Amino acid sequence: MGQTPVVEFLQVQLHIDQQQILTGLNFAIQTGQFVGLLGPNGAGKTSLLRLLQKEYQPSSGQIKLQNHPLQSFGQSELAAKVALVSQISGPLFDLTVADVVLMGLIPHKALWHTNTKQDMQQLRQSLELVGLAHKEAYSFAHLSGGEQQRVLLARAVMQSPLLLLLDEPTNHLDLYYQHQVLRIAKALKITVLASIHDLNLASRYCDRVLLLNQGQLVADGTPQQVMTEDLLTRVFRIPCLIDLNPFGACPRVSFGYKDDL
Amino acid sequence: MNHALLAVLPVPVRLLLATVVLLLVCLCALTSGSVSISISALLGIVPLDEMQSTVLWQLRFPRLLLALLAGAGLALCGALLQNASRNPLADPYLFGIVSGAALGATIATIVLPQWQLLTPLFAFCGALLAVFLVLILGASSRWQRLESLLLCGVAVSFMLSAITTTLLYISEPFAANRVMFWLMGSLSQASLTQVTLIFPLVVLTLLLALLYRRQLDALVLTDESARSLGVHVQPLRLVILLLCAAVSAAIVAFCGGIAFVGLMIPHLVRSLFGLSSVALLLGSVWLGAIFLAGVDTLSRSLLPTQELPIGVVTSAIGSLFFLSMLFKYRRG
Repeated sequence: MGQTPVVEFLQVQLHIDQQQILTGLNFAIQTGQFVGLLGPNGAGKTSLLRLLQKEYQPSSGQIKLQNHPLQSFGQSELAAKVALVSQISGPLFDLTVADVVLMGLIPHKALWHTNTKQDMQQLRQSLELVGLAHKEAYSFAHLSGGEQQRVLLARAVMQSPLLLLLDEPTNHLDLYYQHQVLRIAKALKITVLASIHDLNLASRYCDRVLLLNQGQLVADGTPQQVMTEDLLTRVFRIPCLIDLNPFGACPRVSFGYKDDL
Repeated sequence: MNHALLAVLPVPVRLLLATVVLLLVCLCALTSGSVSISISALLGIVPLDEMQSTVLWQLRFPRLLLALLAGAGLALCGALLQNASRNPLADPYLFGIVSGAALGATIATIVLPQWQLLTPLFAFCGALLAVFLVLILGASSRWQRLESLLLCGVAVSFMLSAITTTLLYISEPFAANRVMFWLMGSLSQASLTQVTLIFPLVVLTLLLALLYRRQLDALVLTDESARSLGVHVQPLRLVILLLCAAVSAAIVAFCGGIAFVGLMIPHLVRSLFGLSSVALLLGSVWLGAIFLAGVDTLSRSLLPTQELPIGVVTSAIGSLFFLSMLFKYRRG
């Protein structure tokens, strides 16, 4: 008998205002997989992540989390199992890095519970994992975008989830932080579903990629299996060439028109 | 106070310092005024004469308690509404509370001039009517869009002000004077009954806010981020709005329109006490109480023969405070 998947989509459809957003999604994600969600704008990547947070309800089909219908989870129960890291543009009111990371305890703490010594130890460990142990008392709003993403990753670690959702975690980050954030997420050794725009980053860090186009899952497999010139040219509507990334045995994608040169 | 010096002190020490300042302000409020009461008389070392005893226990003591509670309540509501709406300009009067209270007070003054005691009750009902209208209008967006709720507050505020102005225009000048005086804010009618009515509302709001401190912190980022942590964003925001409406309506009903406390004090607290919800909530309660008790003492001591309306003094200090903030930001 196979292992129970962390997440399972069974014939999931999503309509919003009578517009079809996602169609016939069927896939399962196993424990420990780092799965990339790829596709052009409007393919349905963010909608799919929102389905997993119960912000949207499927029009038909079913989503299962650890073999239980997602609908059976209350909001706090779900937050204890699924964490989200998305872009946060500078908050108006500032908080310290420790305040933000400690928010990860919300799903696990009753209202009247105070922070224990173990919680503070876990806080330090989470910050060490993302390389920000020395910035515990710093102001969150004054960190760089890359550091803020790492703080949010530490918060997700504090949340101790089964599944970590990353919603375009590398947008607006420079090259260094793009790799840093994904390297750290990969090193956490938890199941990750990440929507990523940069195909080369996805190829470098994902064990498996799901390629969406116009709400449909058009390919599902390892980066080597999914990232083919024909398929990517068709989905992204721009000529594509693929060779091998010299830093590892993964595809390297180049897009462009020959007459540009 | 020197911010750099305060920054090195832990929050409990800062709160302790604020408590010392609070005690000094209380001492000042109870001893200063047209009837002089010495500190030794206040502490029971020297006996009070009959006049002093009456002034102390029937006038100054209830007035001080009301000032402390009103300041704490308005600042607490300001802090909660600013964080919950992620709007640094949010304050307890944003949802038409003062306009509603003014309409209630106007109706009471014009229709029932012989029942002056009913003015606070009418003002309270008017304030609640304003919040009720804002919530009904905001229901069309299921209170999900903060901006639409704030716009509803502005619209209701103008609508109720227009009705009040019309009523005052067609009424006798004496009624208009009384309403104007009420709108300027005053603690001169303070009584222990008012204190006992406002106290439970402020304490309940503070306790609930402290229980939900982590959730309030989470609201500061984004709604999506807060929801992903299991925070029930809309119900929490609605409860905060209703609690703040009840607290502010009760304060406005008894004290009139005291502006700027809810808007200014939370900003001051963030720079003096820190940024997390616990520091913000407790700091707002302490500083709000200190500020209004201090301003009330000032407003009844500045002029030798009469007292200034407290709302005028808070507005003057508030405008100077925001101008100083503006220059500070410009200097970077």
